[in-house]
Amino acid sequence: MDQEFMAQVETKVVAPTESPERGAAAMQLKGVAVSFHGRVAVRDCTFDVTKNRVTSLIGPSGSGKTTLLRALNRLHDLTPGAKVAGQILLEGTDIYRGDITVTELRTRVGMVFQRPNPFPTMSIYENAVSGLRFNGVKKKSILDEAAETSLKSAALWDSVQSRLKVAASNLSGGEQQRLCIARALAMDPEVLLMDEPTSALDPIATLKIEELMTELKKRVTVIIVTHNMQQAARISDDCAFLLMGEDRAGELIEFDTTEKIFNNPIDPRTLDYTLGRFG
Amino acid sequence: MSDMTELVEPVETGHQMRDEIRSISERSRARRQVRSRIMVVLCALALLVTAVPLVLLLFQLFNRGLPVVLHIGFYTQLPQTPSLIAPNATGGVSNAILGTLVLTLYASVMAIPVGVLVGVYLAESDSKLAATLRVISQTMAGAPSILMGLFAFSFIVRDLHVGFSAIAGSFALAVLMLPVIVISSEIAVRGVPHTLREAGLALGAKPHKVSMKIVLPAAVTGIVTGIILAISRAIGETAPVLLVIGGGYINSWKPLDPVSALPLSIYENAKSEWPSLRTEVWGIALVLVVFVFVLSLSARIWASRKQQAR
Ligand SMILES: Nc1ncnc2c1ncn2[C@@H]1O[C@H](COP(=O)(O)OP(=O)(O)OP(=O)(O)O)[C@@H](O)[C@H]1O
Ligand SMILES: [Mg+2]
Repeated sequence: MDQEFMAQVETKVVAPTESPERGAAAMQLKGVAVSFHGRVAVRDCTFDVTKNRVTSLIGPSGSGKTTLLRALNRLHDLTPGAKVAGQILLEGTDIYRGDITVTELRTRVGMVFQRPNPFPTMSIYENAVSGLRFNGVKKKSILDEAAETSLKSAALWDSVQSRLKVAASNLSGGEQQRLCIARALAMDPEVLLMDEPTSALDPIATLKIEELMTELKKRVTVIIVTHNMQQAARISDDCAFLLMGEDRAGELIEFDTTEKIFNNPIDPRTLDYTLGRFG
Repeated sequence: MSDMTELVEPVETGHQMRDEIRSISERSRARRQVRSRIMVVLCALALLVTAVPLVLLLFQLFNRGLPVVLHIGFYTQLPQTPSLIAPNATGGVSNAILGTLVLTLYASVMAIPVGVLVGVYLAESDSKLAATLRVISQTMAGAPSILMGLFAFSFIVRDLHVGFSAIAGSFALAVLMLPVIVISSEIAVRGVPHTLREAGLALGAKPHKVSMKIVLPAAVTGIVTGIILAISRAIGETAPVLLVIGGGYINSWKPLDPVSALPLSIYENAKSEWPSLRTEVWGIALVLVVFVFVLSLSARIWASRKQQAR
């Protein structure tokens, strides 16, 4: 089973789209493939995620966007039967085999999920500092400061400042999602993974989070999965397009600047997709 | 032109369908109404059958029990054996009340930590050990309670030479409570959404931190409900304590002393040849029922508060 999987993975090699003019890479993917119980879900992913830019992952349902994203902070580790092949580098360190623990990796690569998932038993404040607490930070002055800065960066501070001790579940969906962003930002991550962070939100909340992302990329590198073409075009600098092959496994079709992907892609399927010509 | 006809056709069949459906539903309406009436009558009957015995029981309990429990001595005095000169001098059941509290307390101290930990472990692990433990606790949950008494009797009272004691009784009750707590804790922990675990892991929390700081708090209402259920069950159990607590006629909280318990007093008094003692049984039963009622009521109120706070 294993060899078969490796063979499948190595059959095709996509030329990495190197673009030295973009700047240093925060993360590098080299022939990344993920399989579940020997069945390949996504493969052939080779591209660089450039620092202080927003990289979007687009593609139809089932093309492996979520699967790929979750490989980047090793969230597949606990999924029985999941295997990640290829290389994923964070600042040059292989995150699966290199000198880095899962815990450290996840503090450096934060994640925001599709559905807002604040911890229901914790207050707004406790949610914001939960990551620091899990990692052993106890000093109140540090926690207080982290709570304030992260809630401010998530554009939530003004509306929750007076009710930090209130249960997080009292917030609206959009506010909860921003709390989840604050929770991730409190760890001061280098990379922030976002899996359709606005798909459960209304247009106004969506807009707020999009604005936020443009602001955020000054400090962190953002990788975002989105089904919304306008969103990808508006907020991302680079874009990766994934599509299922004949065997239903997702693969990287094209990676380039968002501008090129949307206006002048190399692969005709990319244009078809961004124009909504198939689904 | 051909486009037009194609468009009109489906609309007409749609109307035909609608009329068809309407006429069918018209015809079946009368039949449905009759059936619905019959169902209502049957439900009312079922309600009556269930409610009548319950109401009779409660009436009996309060009617006969209230006069007994209104004497303060019932709670403060030790039991007495009536004599021909004073046939109504039954004393009180202070030893049984204290005994029940003590037994429940010790049993809870033993069963709750172990039960919750095992439950969490079962929910979080797919190991062989977990599967084995699950089968064991399910079997234990179905085992007759006298078995626990027998086990405590032969093991603690005899083999360990502890003698008839509160600790032997609470051990038997703890064994009885354990599977209830394990099973309900496992269910509660499994009910915690997977996304919360992932959120914790994605923040760099170690798996045990995720279990303790995220999953356990989120499951706490379910766990506590299970604990209360286990305690309510243990409080009323007669069989397991019958064999091992020794029915002490003293007020004692010491683990090694023989104690009494409310269900045991009911059992003993009911066998008595003194009518006064047999009347007292209803008072004891009433106290027991109030215990269990207060316990489960407070658990419910607490759980709903907790739920609202979310
Ligand atoms: N834990 C898993 N076990 C088995 N198969 C999985 C698992 N997770 C994902 N897959 C499979 O991997 C493929 C890609 O799924 P993925 O969720 O990554 O798609 P996606 O691009 O995120 O789709 P969507 O846009 O609908 O979110 C699917 O065929 C899915 O069935
Ligand atoms: Mg997805």
